[in-house]
Amino acid sequence: MPEILPRRRTLLASAAALPLLLATAGCRSSDGFTGPDPLAGRPRPAPDVVTLTAVIAAEEDLIGLYRTALAGDSATTARSHGLPGLLAQHEQHLTRLRARLIQPPGTATATASLRPSATASAAAPARVTVARLRAAERASAAGLVRSLATVDPALAQLFASIAASDATHVTVLDG
Amino acid sequence: MAAITAVSALDAALAAEDAAIYGYGVAGAHLTGSRQAAAEQDWEGHNKARDTLTAMIYALGAQPVAAQAFYALPFPVHDKTSAMALAAHLEDGVTRAYLAIVAVSDQRLRDFGAMAMQSSAERAAYWRGSTQAFPGLDP
Repeated sequence: MPEILPRRRTLLASAAALPLLLATAGCRSSDGFTGPDPLAGRPRPAPDVVTLTAVIAAEEDLIGLYRTALAGDSATTARSHGLPGLLAQHEQHLTRLRARLIQPPGTATATASLRPSATASAAAPARVTVARLRAAERASAAGLVRSLATVDPALAQLFASIAASDATHVTVLDG
Repeated sequence: MAAITAVSALDAALAAEDAAIYGYGVAGAHLTGSRQAAAEQDWEGHNKARDTLTAMIYALGAQPVAAQAFYALPFPVHDKTSAMALAAHLEDGVTRAYLAIVAVSDQRLRDFGAMAMQSSAERAAYWRGSTQAFPGLDP
C-alpha cells in the first residue's frame, strides 16, 4: 500500500505536468497524430450546427405561439383558421430539424435544442392572435431563407422547404 | 463545375415551367369563374418565370432547354376536380425543380430558388385546398 500511493501521485503529477512539458518542448499535444488537439478544449460547433440550432429554437418558439393561441381566449377563432393542422406541420418541421442535429451530448447548443417545448418560453405572450401568427410565419420564412448561405446543400433544401410551408401558412391565415 | 450545376438546375426548372404552361392550358379549359381566372393568372406567372429562367441561362453562357410540343398528362383531365388536381400536380413539379436550385453553391441562386418555391407552394396549396409540411421534399 505505501508503495502504491506514491506511484499514483506520480502518475497524477505527470498528467498535470504534461501541457507544461509539451509547451517547453515547443510541441502541441496534437503533433504526431491527426486527431483533434485533446488539450484545446471542446471544438467549436460547425457553422451548420450553429445555424441549425438557431433555426430549431425559432421553430420551438413558433410552436409555442400556436399552442398559446389554441389555448387562449381566441381558441374558437384559431380553430376556424385551421391552426391545429398548421401546428401539426410545425411539429413535423421540428422533428426533422432535430433529426439533422448531431453533436456531442452536454454541449450548450445541444442543451438549447432539446427544450421540450416552447410553451414555457419567457418570450411567449399570454394571448396570441391570428395576426401575430401570420407575422411570425412570415418572419420565419424570411429567416430561413437568410440562413441558406451558411449551410450544406441538403440542409439548405430542408430550410427552403420549411420556408415554403411557412409561406403557405401565411396564406391560410390571411383567409 | 459550379456553373454547370447551376445551368442544369435552371434548365430543370425551365422544363418544369414549360410543362406547367402546357398543363394550365389543359386545366383552364375545364374551369370556370374565379378558378378559371386563377388558372389564367398562374399561367401568366409561369410564362414570366419561363422568360426569367431563359434569361438567366443565357447569362450563364448556356443554351436553354427547348419546350416540348406535347406533354403527357399524369392522369385524365375531364372535369373541374381533375383540372384542379392537375394544377396542384404541376405546381408540385415546379416546386421540386426550384428546390434543386437551392442546392447549388451560388447564394443568389439559392435565394432565388427558395423564393420561387414559396410561390409555387402557395399556388399548390390553393389548388389542393391544403398545405404541406415539406413542399418539394419527400414527406
